[in-house]
Amino acid sequence: MAETILSVKNLKTYFFTSRGIVRAVDGIDFDLLKSECLCLVGESGCGKTVTALSILGLIDTPPGRIVGGEVYYDSVNLLTCPAERLRHIRGKEIAMVFQDAQSALNPVFTVGDQIVEQIKLHLGVGNREAREKMIRLLGEVGMPSPEKAADYHPHQLSGGMKQRAMIAMGLSCDPEVLIADEPTTAVDVTIKAQVLDLLQQLKETRQMSLLFITHELGVVSEIGDRMVVMYAGRLAETASVAELLGNPKHPYTVGLIKCLPDMTQTRDRLESIPGTVPSLIEPIGGCLFHPRCDRAMAICRQEKPYPVTVGEGHTVFCHLYSKAKG
Amino acid sequence: MTDKVKAKSIVQKIGGFRILILILVAAVLGIILLLDVLVVEDSIFDPLVYLYIILGTLVILYGIYPLYRGRRLTGYYWERFRRNRLAVAGLAFILFLILLALIGPFFTADPTAVNFEEKNLPPLGFSIEESIYDMGKQEFVTRSITGTSQHLLGTDNKGRDMLAMIVSGTRVSLQVGLLATGIAVALGTLIGIISAYLGGKMDNILMRFTDVMMTFPFFLLLVFIVFIFGPNLAFIVLVIGLTGWTGTARLIRSETLSLRTREFIMASKALGASTGRIILAHLVPNVISLIVVIATLSIPGIILAEAALSFIGLGDPSVTSWGMVLRAGQQNLDTAWWVAVAPGVMLFFTVLAFNFMGDGLRDAFDPRSAV
Amino acid sequence: MRKNWLRDYTIKRLLFAIIVAWGVLTITFILVRVGPTSPADKYLANVAARGEDVAQVTAAVEARYGLDRPIYEQYINYVGNLVRGDWGWSFSTSMSVMGLIKTHWIYSFQLILLSTIFAALLGVFIGVISAVKQYSKTDYIATFFSFIGISIPNFWLGVMLILAFSVQLGLFKTYYDTGIPLLSLANLKQLILPVVTLGTGMLAGYVRYTRSAMLDNLRKDFVRTARAKGLPERTVIGKHVFRNAMLPLITIIMFDLGSIVFGGAYLTEIIFGIPGLGQISFNAIFADDYAVVVAVTLISAFLVLIINLVTDIAYTYLDPRIRYD
Repeated sequence: MAETILSVKNLKTYFFTSRGIVRAVDGIDFDLLKSECLCLVGESGCGKTVTALSILGLIDTPPGRIVGGEVYYDSVNLLTCPAERLRHIRGKEIAMVFQDAQSALNPVFTVGDQIVEQIKLHLGVGNREAREKMIRLLGEVGMPSPEKAADYHPHQLSGGMKQRAMIAMGLSCDPEVLIADEPTTAVDVTIKAQVLDLLQQLKETRQMSLLFITHELGVVSEIGDRMVVMYAGRLAETASVAELLGNPKHPYTVGLIKCLPDMTQTRDRLESIPGTVPSLIEPIGGCLFHPRCDRAMAICRQEKPYPVTVGEGHTVFCHLYSKAKG
Repeated sequence: MTDKVKAKSIVQKIGGFRILILILVAAVLGIILLLDVLVVEDSIFDPLVYLYIILGTLVILYGIYPLYRGRRLTGYYWERFRRNRLAVAGLAFILFLILLALIGPFFTADPTAVNFEEKNLPPLGFSIEESIYDMGKQEFVTRSITGTSQHLLGTDNKGRDMLAMIVSGTRVSLQVGLLATGIAVALGTLIGIISAYLGGKMDNILMRFTDVMMTFPFFLLLVFIVFIFGPNLAFIVLVIGLTGWTGTARLIRSETLSLRTREFIMASKALGASTGRIILAHLVPNVISLIVVIATLSIPGIILAEAALSFIGLGDPSVTSWGMVLRAGQQNLDTAWWVAVAPGVMLFFTVLAFNFMGDGLRDAFDPRSAV
Repeated sequence: MRKNWLRDYTIKRLLFAIIVAWGVLTITFILVRVGPTSPADKYLANVAARGEDVAQVTAAVEARYGLDRPIYEQYINYVGNLVRGDWGWSFSTSMSVMGLIKTHWIYSFQLILLSTIFAALLGVFIGVISAVKQYSKTDYIATFFSFIGISIPNFWLGVMLILAFSVQLGLFKTYYDTGIPLLSLANLKQLILPVVTLGTGMLAGYVRYTRSAMLDNLRKDFVRTARAKGLPERTVIGKHVFRNAMLPLITIIMFDLGSIVFGGAYLTEIIFGIPGLGQISFNAIFADDYAVVVAVTLISAFLVLIINLVTDIAYTYLDPRIRYD
């Protein structure tokens, strides 16, 4: 029985803007187990990145604020622990890799220096040792000529190399958890495959947990062990990847999977989910998906759905399944 | 071809009716200038008037007229500008200054009238202690002198009325500010656009020349030239204009460079428009908003340059300017402090007003800033 | 690879600077020659006023400056002299111009150096605090005063400071005392008002620039990455943000030097009676002593040229992103 490394309970992160309160994350729960890859899935704007940032306390405080919930790591609530403790955890126990490597890296320092900085900070080693470790890391992530690459500035590297440098930076202090925010989205297809392979391999060799954020179901099926589907800041469905992709319950998830083009069939039009994501400022009552749902019932307009277990480790947030069986 | 069509095509050949008017005005001025220099004894026009007429014509033809034609756009910009309260305050102050400069001299005393009886009077509402050695009593007698309503801002150590001098200075500063800036910006724009649009060798030569001119510190160059040629107001205006264009040239050049590759210019070229026409009809209107902002923000520096020149004694001695008053004030700080304060306050607020207005204009014109 | 390119760039830049220097020399020459009265005439008028033998002096002057020769020979003489270090003779002070410069340059130098240091250090400091504490009271006050600082005419500021601190409060003398040794506290004290006068405009500009550059960079993604790495906030701001924001500041400081500092120093020296190069040039103007005025104008232009050159090359080295292909 794998242990739970990271536990998110009822996380709520709101942004207070002049136009109103944006409920970016409105009550999210999930657990991340040791050595597993949990995929946080949803379309743009559903709150996946905000969730990840909230875990590490990286939300820009005006205008955002984590207004409720708990995030437990190693029996410490990251949302209320002292700043010093959080700083020690960041980068060392829980590391994050960002989506756009070009803007996420500091343009005036070499990639080597940026990695060494982190190593020296958390591991307290000297310059030479840090540099050696850094070069090993770059090799491990598949960077060609790591010695040379280390002395390059970000803009001198190609997209794939930058991404690898970012991953190396994330791994530098052997974290327990690696949060990867859409690491393959901004990269072309060949690199995408390489990065996925790399992450898969790293997860296995280092016994590291991976919280993988993406909107691409294909990627999820390749690398994910379990997945969490988010919609408009709330949970829709949680299950193992195989279970959810084979047996989706929530109408939104069903719609998402149907949207994937099927290579075996000849069709005239691609399927899509009608309607648009609701505004997160004026929350409508009940289930946030009901305006677009073809199976909406009266109760969906009034009451927020609660979690229902529909299989082993498979939870849905939908009134369709909340009626008592029988 | 009918006469009307013939006339129209001639006008188009020259590049539009505005060029026609410009040429006419220049010709008339040229004739008057020749008469002035060669035939008539006294000057028909003060040299400044020539500059006024040329710049005025340019502003009306290329500034006011387009504003009138594009009324809706002008209104839109004005709405955005209006929301910046500081900018509007600046504009109000500048209008007040213009009014002061135009009609003030009719209501104030002669700024050059010396009157030792009434020297060193403080402004209305202030008093100062004065110690005079009384010959009769053989000791220092201290008495208090208070300002009178006759001299609202007091007098200097030669009895000249401060208010009159300030009003006269307003006139000088505004003239220099508007005219010299006009010349500098016009010249800078011309050089910038030509350099950027023609590119290649021309660009190189013009930019090298600009670099050389920029290497001279602006004020030192001014001082040098005024030293060589002598301090005369019209000349000072001309010199400031002829040396202060470098910043504008650089800015306009870079803006034009980015415009040059935009599609509408290429489309124009593809349709067969000549270089001159492209420059005048397409490039200039697009940089006008930038020109206006640059001009407004340059005026303070230019007014200060003239004031600094007068302050050190290199201004036109026949004209009372703020700098000159400040100079007199510095020499009498212990006896008549108000003489040094008044012109500086005017300069400060004038600079502030133009800076606020320039910032407001820049924000109003910038499509990316939410006003 | 980049090293090679940097070396080429430096050489190109040096050549360019030499061309500009030549341009400066030539324009100065043209301006002097085009003037209504020639330097010689002014000198001779002065001579006549003193009752000396004009004819004899005229011959000497003509011989020395080659005024009877065609203009291009004069030009070549002029350039040659300058390069050799013969910058002429100042009749109003009875010293060689070079000697005059050697005695007086130090006063200008100390004024400009102290003002720049004062403005840069204080300006950056206030700007950083203002940006990090955006919208706080400190920020508003700093922004307000910096706006005033750039709008206030610096020569008036000087006069007002004298009025307030020397005349009314009697804290400082109203003129600069050259008797005081340069490297002393007393000298520093008497330089306070001039440095504030010259430095305020620059200071305000640096506060505004630093604040704006810091704010821009604080929003960037790499800041979030730095925090995610677990770096302490002071390192995030002090190292990562600051380095990005401050790079262009060097160019701004140097640009200021080229455009407003020399002019400002000129005025400040005159107001406070500091016998620097500005002051002696000013005196020479009213004595019609051409050689000195020309020399100071040229020196200031050459200094600007050198400063621009050094800044350009330094900045190109420092910013890893620059590469003009």
